[in-house]
Amino acid sequence: MIVAGIDVGSLTAKCVLFEEKVIAYSIAKVTPDLENTAKAVYSDAVKKAGVSAEYIVATGYGRNKVSFANLKVTEITCHAFGAKSIFPSCRTVIDIGGQDSKVIAVENGVKNFVMNDKCAAGTGRFLEVMASALNVDVSKLGELDEKADKPVNISSTCTVFAESEVVSYIAQGEKVENIVAGLHNAIASRIAAMAKRIDLKPDVVLTGGVAKNKGVKRALEEILQIKILVPEEPQIVGAIGAAIVGKNYASRGRKSERF
Amino acid sequence: MRVGYLCTFTPKELIDAAGFTPVRILADSTPISLASAHIQSYACIQARGSLEKALRKIDVDAVVFTRSCDTLMRLADIWEIATKMKVYSFEFPTKIDSTSKNFLISEIAELAKKLEEWGGKITFDSLKESIELYKLLEVELAKIFDEKPDYELLFKVQQMKVKDALNELKSREQKKSKGGPKILVTGSVCPFLDVMKLFEDVGFSVKDDLCTGTRFFTFKYPEMELRSVEDCFRYLAEKYVSKAECPTKHYEKDRRFERVLELAKDCDGVVFLLLKFCDPHFFDYPQLKQKLEEIGKKVLLLELEFPVIEQLRTRIEAFYEVIMC
Repeated sequence: MIVAGIDVGSLTAKCVLFEEKVIAYSIAKVTPDLENTAKAVYSDAVKKAGVSAEYIVATGYGRNKVSFANLKVTEITCHAFGAKSIFPSCRTVIDIGGQDSKVIAVENGVKNFVMNDKCAAGTGRFLEVMASALNVDVSKLGELDEKADKPVNISSTCTVFAESEVVSYIAQGEKVENIVAGLHNAIASRIAAMAKRIDLKPDVVLTGGVAKNKGVKRALEEILQIKILVPEEPQIVGAIGAAIVGKNYASRGRKSERF
Repeated sequence: MRVGYLCTFTPKELIDAAGFTPVRILADSTPISLASAHIQSYACIQARGSLEKALRKIDVDAVVFTRSCDTLMRLADIWEIATKMKVYSFEFPTKIDSTSKNFLISEIAELAKKLEEWGGKITFDSLKESIELYKLLEVELAKIFDEKPDYELLFKVQQMKVKDALNELKSREQKKSKGGPKILVTGSVCPFLDVMKLFEDVGFSVKDDLCTGTRFFTFKYPEMELRSVEDCFRYLAEKYVSKAECPTKHYEKDRRFERVLELAKDCDGVVFLLLKFCDPHFFDYPQLKQKLEEIGKKVLLLELEFPVIEQLRTRIEAFYEVIMC
């Protein structure tokens, strides 16, 4: 059975067409019309795959606005299943998305989770704001991090206050590379505080769009003193998980829209 | 006259018997602006939101502040300075043991005196009646909540005379529980009805240990005949020290933990629904969480300020999936 997993996040929507493995996927920017965003990203994935889905699962913040989905599941469950399918040894998932970050303990499904959604601290949005303050492209942050020799201390994880700290470092003539590495460390320490609240067990898998940034992985490995695995395409792990959850669910003959 | 109160350890019977309407003051979704001139942003939303309401417009002439957490006690001082309302601090004992009852009786007598100063009249007959009516109300509410919690009703009856509240109960239809996995929601106050509704929307069957839930009406009633006003004071003291436990009090043994653990027994999970900056609850949280996990319960912590509904929904749905998985 071909299942589509559609993950409508705060910044991007992801769609994966999945049978035994990923057939095709698509990523698009989210517009305020979530239903149409979901439709567009789904159509694009279908076009790439050349087949359409028999069963559709929606996840992410916008999941409840995807009226054509057969099932709606939270991104927390989906990231757990997605990460586990890519790395069967996975026991913990750290998902850093556009608007929130989560640490998820994985067993058969989700054992426990902690989620930060109070503010942009430690999220993709945080990095976007900082990249703009530094006048660099957000996709270049990882490379800049590698060239740092003495990361600065960013004491505030609040996006607004951290930005003024960044401005202050720029005024002091600090190297951009060191500021970037300092920002990554700030995110990592924020995540580490969350990870301490659940039992962090290896292997740890980093998912979500921010996982594409090597600097965040570096900072997390340093502070948690643990090796972190990153999937080839970390941004679609939630969508993959959605498809897998849908496959299991549909094969059990369940019909309800909710778990 | 309408007499407000924030803490559910306030003996509403006295206010009602004095001829006044006891009104529970709860925060709502009004954005905090005026209150910020008087109280810091790291006070809970119940304290800040209530003050904001008082500074904007609230139909209350006087407020009885009952000793509970530090924030509420200092709020009493702020209220006195910042509003034109009459304010009285009712000293409910913090340590609940054999010595606290006599102290509470004298405090109840003082409160009665104050209510008379405010123009009320408490007689043996009026007090006995209020005591009986409140017991009726509480027992009825407990029955309703046993079947299916109705927070809208509970919020409503806290805004009226007990007689009217009883009539309100008569005119309603009992709602049936839809079933689903059972959770215990524990915490301080949750002044947001839409948050309470989320649990049910997601598919849970809810039981609570909240000050805006069952803790409002959970008492053990002393068996004694009432022959005088003094008897009534003693009765109220006995009743209120037996009230469902609150973390702002110190009990002999671990009465509060025991109650929460007992309530959690037949539940699939426990949700801590705590107001940000609520010290008494947050200090208890790590230990209570551990004890709940030891008896095999899944635990979720939800921190509330102004609720952002969809984010809360994601957590509650994810918790549902954790339990159903």
